Amino acid sequence: MDGIINSEIIIIILAAGIRLATPYLLAALGEMFVQRSGVYNLGVEGIMMMGAFAGFYATLQLGSPLLGIAVSLVVGALMGLLMALVSVTFKAEQGISGIGLYMFGWGLSGLLFRLYVGGITSVEGLKAVKIPLLSTIPFLGPVLFDHNGLVYTAFILVPVTGFILFKTSWGLNVRAVGNKPEAADTLGVSVVLIRYQCLIVGGMLAALAGAFLTIGQANMYADNITAGRGFIAIALVYFGRWSPWGILLGSLLFSLADSFQSMVQVLGINFPYELAVILPYMVTIIALAISYGRVWSPAALGKPFQRGTRG
Amino acid sequence: MKKRVLTLLLAALTLLALSGCGTKPTAQSTPTPAPEAPKVEKIRIALVLPATVDDLAWGQSMVEGLKAVQKTMGEDKVEVAISEKLGNAVDAGSAIRQYATQGYDIIFAHGSQYQSVLTEIIKDFPKTTFAYGTGFATHPNVFAYDPQAQEGGYLLGMLAAMMTKSGIVGIVGPVESGDAVKYNYGVQQGVIAGKADVKSRISYTGSFNDIVGAGNMAKTHMSAGADIITGSSQQAVGALRAVAETEGKYWLSTDMDQSNIAPNHVLAAQVYNWEKIVGKIIELRKTGTLGGQHLTLSLADGTIVLKYNEKLADKIPAEAKAAVEKAKQDIISGKLKVELPKK
Repeated sequence: MDGIINSEIIIIILAAGIRLATPYLLAALGEMFVQRSGVYNLGVEGIMMMGAFAGFYATLQLGSPLLGIAVSLVVGALMGLLMALVSVTFKAEQGISGIGLYMFGWGLSGLLFRLYVGGITSVEGLKAVKIPLLSTIPFLGPVLFDHNGLVYTAFILVPVTGFILFKTSWGLNVRAVGNKPEAADTLGVSVVLIRYQCLIVGGMLAALAGAFLTIGQANMYADNITAGRGFIAIALVYFGRWSPWGILLGSLLFSLADSFQSMVQVLGINFPYELAVILPYMVTIIALAISYGRVWSPAALGKPFQRGTRG
Repeated sequence: MKKRVLTLLLAALTLLALSGCGTKPTAQSTPTPAPEAPKVEKIRIALVLPATVDDLAWGQSMVEGLKAVQKTMGEDKVEVAISEKLGNAVDAGSAIRQYATQGYDIIFAHGSQYQSVLTEIIKDFPKTTFAYGTGFATHPNVFAYDPQAQEGGYLLGMLAAMMTKSGIVGIVGPVESGDAVKYNYGVQQGVIAGKADVKSRISYTGSFNDIVGAGNMAKTHMSAGADIITGSSQQAVGALRAVAETEGKYWLSTDMDQSNIAPNHVLAAQVYNWEKIVGKIIELRKTGTLGGQHLTLSLADGTIVLKYNEKLADKIPAEAKAAVEKAKQDIISGKLKVELPKK
């Protein structure tokens, strides 16, 4: 064993944890709006893959990761719209349609990649931006203020989405639609419109999470690049009890466990690697299992809205 | 409703945890070979891949081998059909069975995970030749092929040890099994042989195809001091890309030469020459041997080649190269034996 856990190592673990939390945070905050409005979208993974491809391909073609982000947001909005059409307008069973969307996104992103790119290619992705002054703070600087723009965006979105959800009238409508759609409908709130809006926002954030993987992390695209992260994000929404701060906590817990286990392996600390790689999942599963039963959830979650019936 | 979703999620999470994340039970299967009457002269070969034909690693190296065979023997003499993204052994099994039913002569199941599905299929097609690898268990109509990944790994490890400035060599492994273990074990021995006080550090991502995860693992290695990194499986390109973004860090490839995507960072590669193995299987089948042989790829018979990146040739000190070349000759002549992990 050749490494001592010193402050330098801790900084590396924490900084990597912040970076790794980003895709979960983005996708889970999006899914939070979706579920708050009474729909659960299990297709997050598929949207992420489409966003990952779109962001990558646009960056490759247009030469700018910012345009890549813009294109992935559009693609995410379209994927969200598709889910809304199927689950809100056509009232299809949400679990099944979400899984369908996942498989659609996986298949389509792989197909488009094969058709338009063809092989492994890398792009110039987002660069880390050191925040002036703040990044020079000892310890906290390198941990918090030396990341690329999407990392900051994800963390800023936590208070922003919290404000939108709890302090604006639109947020109130979202929560009403997810809890008592009939009541909201009686008061003149369009349940269908709110759910469409939430699914589109959720789609955009999921796509952004995907784009982060291709142009903010790997700087390349490969089939199935999300590797299950979309499902983790959905779990984190439950874990976080449909609140931005809870989701932040869950994302950090998961990703810090991940960066910690990587470092444990790299430093050659004697610990079976099989246990190390499942550590983040175990932590999340245990937390999820413990929290179940005492959790409030949107009352109308998963129920298609039909005017004139009671949920 | 909530309960159901939670149950679904927990199940999905458990699956992810158990499989070390990554594999989904829904791989796309698209075997679409043209059903045509088998001519006497034409050899029909099918290939089933866990990842993609262009993964710049395990899968692509085999595809290129098959293409080379096709080129040498003539496009009209060899037909090749490929199904990719069949990481799930059950889906792969149905593709293999379809190919066999359609009368393909030789079916390559290119992954050690296909061993058990093959044993169920082969009995129904005694006239078909099957081949899989990495593996060693054979049947009368099954060849097992087995790259001696530790040999090239040893040479690359030596090179790494003699070139590292930080004294740390990092290895990004996929899952601790098969080829990856052999390769890593070879690298470790090579590092020790190259320079006694250089350390090699192994970590596993728990996945074969999570390129983002492999990239992050490489970043962790580099931030903890490694300046030369290597790794195997299709996810390795993610690690390679992370290395290529950092000045003064180098990468060593295995399976195939990956220098074209990072010409300034890939020092050398262990390259598998599948053309010879495929050619050998075709020849054996012609003489009536449908299987039953354990075919190894090694430096000695030229099925494993050590390839340097021309562009970085001047970065490698002459004495390092000489030492590596000497070790290569010793492995070929049998004087030097690279150990395998004891089971």
